[in-house]
Amino acid sequence: MTRSHKLTLSDDLTIYHAVEQKKTLLAGLAAAGDLKLDLAQVSEIDTAGLQLLILLKKEARAAGKRVSIVAHSKAVRSAIEFCNLAAELGDPLVDPAADAA
Amino acid sequence: MDELTSVYIQESREQLAEMEAGLLRLEQEPDDADNINAIFRAAHTIKGGSGVVECHFIEAFTHGVENLLDVLRNGKLAVSGALATLLLECCDHMGRLVDVLAAQSPEPDADLAARGDALSERVRANLAGEAGQASLALVDSDDEVESPGGGVVTTDSWHISVRFGRNLLRGGMDSLSFIRYLASLGEIIGIETIADAIPAAEEMDPESCYLGFEIRLQTKASKADIEKVFDFVRDECELRILPPHSKVADYLQLIKELPEDSMRLGEMLVRCGALTQAEVDHGLLAQNVLAASADAAEPLAPLGEILIGNKVVHKEIVDAAVAKQAQVGDKKARDSQLVRVHADKLDQLIDLVGELVIAGASANMLAIKSRQSELVETTSVLSRLVESIRDSALQLRMVQIGDTFTRFNRVVRDVSKDLGKEIELVISGAETELDKTVVEKIGDPLMHLVRNSLDHGIEPAALRLARGKPACGRVSLNAYHDSGIIVIEVADDGGGLNRDKIRAKAIERELIGAGDTLSDKEINNLIFEPGFSTVDKVSNLSGRGVGMDVVRRNILGLRGTVEVASSEGQGATFTIRLPLTLAIIDGFLVGVGKSSYVIPLDSVVECIEHKNLSGDRDFLNLRGEALPFVRLRELFESEGHAPARESIVVVQFAGRRAGIVVDQLMGEFQTVIKPLGRMFANLRGIGGSTILGSGEVALILDVAALVNIVTRSEEARLLPNRHAPASTALASNLSAVQSGR
Amino acid sequence: MLVDDSATILLSISSILGKAGYTVEKAANAELAMGKFNAGVKIDLLITDLNMPGMNGIELITEVRKLPAYKFVPILFLTTESQQARKMEAKAAGASGWIVKPATADELLNTIKLVLK
Repeated sequence: MTRSHKLTLSDDLTIYHAVEQKKTLLAGLAAAGDLKLDLAQVSEIDTAGLQLLILLKKEARAAGKRVSIVAHSKAVRSAIEFCNLAAELGDPLVDPAADAA
Repeated sequence: MDELTSVYIQESREQLAEMEAGLLRLEQEPDDADNINAIFRAAHTIKGGSGVVECHFIEAFTHGVENLLDVLRNGKLAVSGALATLLLECCDHMGRLVDVLAAQSPEPDADLAARGDALSERVRANLAGEAGQASLALVDSDDEVESPGGGVVTTDSWHISVRFGRNLLRGGMDSLSFIRYLASLGEIIGIETIADAIPAAEEMDPESCYLGFEIRLQTKASKADIEKVFDFVRDECELRILPPHSKVADYLQLIKELPEDSMRLGEMLVRCGALTQAEVDHGLLAQNVLAASADAAEPLAPLGEILIGNKVVHKEIVDAAVAKQAQVGDKKARDSQLVRVHADKLDQLIDLVGELVIAGASANMLAIKSRQSELVETTSVLSRLVESIRDSALQLRMVQIGDTFTRFNRVVRDVSKDLGKEIELVISGAETELDKTVVEKIGDPLMHLVRNSLDHGIEPAALRLARGKPACGRVSLNAYHDSGIIVIEVADDGGGLNRDKIRAKAIERELIGAGDTLSDKEINNLIFEPGFSTVDKVSNLSGRGVGMDVVRRNILGLRGTVEVASSEGQGATFTIRLPLTLAIIDGFLVGVGKSSYVIPLDSVVECIEHKNLSGDRDFLNLRGEALPFVRLRELFESEGHAPARESIVVVQFAGRRAGIVVDQLMGEFQTVIKPLGRMFANLRGIGGSTILGSGEVALILDVAALVNIVTRSEEARLLPNRHAPASTALASNLSAVQSGR
Repeated sequence: MLVDDSATILLSISSILGKAGYTVEKAANAELAMGKFNAGVKIDLLITDLNMPGMNGIELITEVRKLPAYKFVPILFLTTESQQARKMEAKAAGASGWIVKPATADELLNTIKLVLK
């Protein structure tokens, strides 16, 4: 199953939503072989949010799937840059679509 | 004085009052932990604030007191009478220090400072002698470890390795906040996020923190500054800080100690710029070799000295923080819960509301005259609102009498000790509210009455036992509201008033004639006469040249009354009656001739219309009861003749009723009391004046005095053989009603 | 939100924070603060005294943490007590960190900067 699936998160990627977002993200990964994450509307991200993204990447790797972040909000991009996680999360940080958003 | 200091002074005084109350309770209930905590908290708050306002003499003194209380609080020191006395003295001293601050003196004078030193010495003696180890426990027990990197100015990079605790996020923190804060100390030239600790999906708790960071930080900050960033999470996180120019071996040790895979970590350190790949390869290899050889520990041992590990104590930072003081410039407080308002502002508001009431009444009158119903309606709505504003404004000034009452705990304690009597104070009705201005002025008269009860009322224990009473005497303070006035009672269960003695003294002082017939009540109340004192020996308490006459004069000055009831051998009760407020009253407007008078509405019972009141009698039959009355026209010698139909306003004061005969009734009227000038201070029967809507002045009747005049003259007339001391006063109309009894 | 039964502390801290551009919600005791929390007041940080009559600071922190909306809000407590046990007790109740009284304006603002997200 290599269906491509796009998941758009609208809530903040913060500790307040971490429990539900973990379910959402893992469910999204389970449903797709190639999960595309649209984070353009995520106006805030914290440690919990970053951890979830890292977790998702790890899980994908373990299951031989792919997760890519196709759109970043400013907040998400700066947090990833700040933690020097661009390589780990392995996605193009400069995304014209996200920049426009 | 700046606002912060004045807030501090007021708060300290409140806290001191609480502290004192708590200390007084301490002797009775030495095991009441809540009470001891409350005392500690009061001292603690005072000390805390003193630091903020930079008042060092209060801070220094209170610090010792706080320490002593802390020992007490921890149960390491037992409560004793001597200790309570010492603490009370400290409490007093703190009060005096606050006075010094309030007087804006830079420091206490030599005398006060010496007393403070003496007290501090005693406090220390208690701490050292009785608490022993406990006093040492107050000193921070943290082991102080020298911080190797402290204060070093460097341009090279620090290496910070941190693994956050799982509960970081649940404690409301965010790992990124720490890193951002570090960034504000200098420049992060390299950072690696270590996410190895994140478990597989099903085990991963999204609310736990699994992250760690390896950070290269270029900063001029000291190690202490860097450590301080992690202060809050010190016990939960693994933190390692390598100062600039650390040896490669130090990094290798770091790698070894960290939980992650060594090779991977080495990679990370290379990536964040701490080490080169060659150094890592060489180092790790060397370590492995060493580990393989049996005694690996030896060559690595010095590393422990260089590595700034988890155990470095940051005490110096905390101490520095304590030593510094808060600098506060512009103070603008917007306290949403409690607003502290200067009493003057409140008085000004009340004054304005008073003017508003008058202006409102004036508008009302004009509206009624104009006969425009809409206008009348509007103004009546307006007056209702003004009435509400008035009530709210007055409410602002209402305070509970409790604080005034509790002051006497100390008085009773100290005085009974001095007198060698055992006396307890019982307080009830502490929550009763009355106007602040009244509360302020009632303190002195109350003090005198309480001291009188302590000194003259309560008998020595032996005598009490002989009389079949408990050895411990009882003085009680009580307050309650009664139809628009507040009643305050000071009662004791002592010997009561000796009427024979009072009578003899009064005759000796020519206050009454030898053949006068006086009721028990009248005799009792003779003690309020000027110059009257039944105590042969002047004690150091009550005999300060202030007699009961001064008490009565003060209370009369508040438009109140005082009287005493006593049964011999059982005790005495002083009853003070006061108006709730001095500022505004609801009045009942009456007219006599061309003049208008205001009778306080609280005291009006009913109004009766009466035809042809017979001129020779001064009482009438009201539903079977004799009601004495007074004609205002005669009392104030008004011009003109009484109309055929007169009205009688029945008023009541202190349980006695009297009628006031007037020409016409003009209805209810809100009025602001304007005090009469000093010239009229002796005018009895008049409580003040007010300005009517029409601009005319109306006198406000003093019902208490009128009732006295009326009922007494009636008694005198009915019992002609009795010498009525008041009659002379009556003859000159209203000049000196009080002097009679 | 600033909670302290000392008017002096309330005034001094709120004026420092006010000047630094923060909006300060104040409460003179824990009960009043809880009232505001139950009413859903929006805050980024809670600063509370520990030693207060009635409900104390630790109880307040415990209660606040039970409310979902404030489960992860940074909480700082004010303390002059350097005893580690007290700090740990407050941290166990869910506090983020502490401010040692009296703190300079800089120390105060730095600490707040550290915990604000």
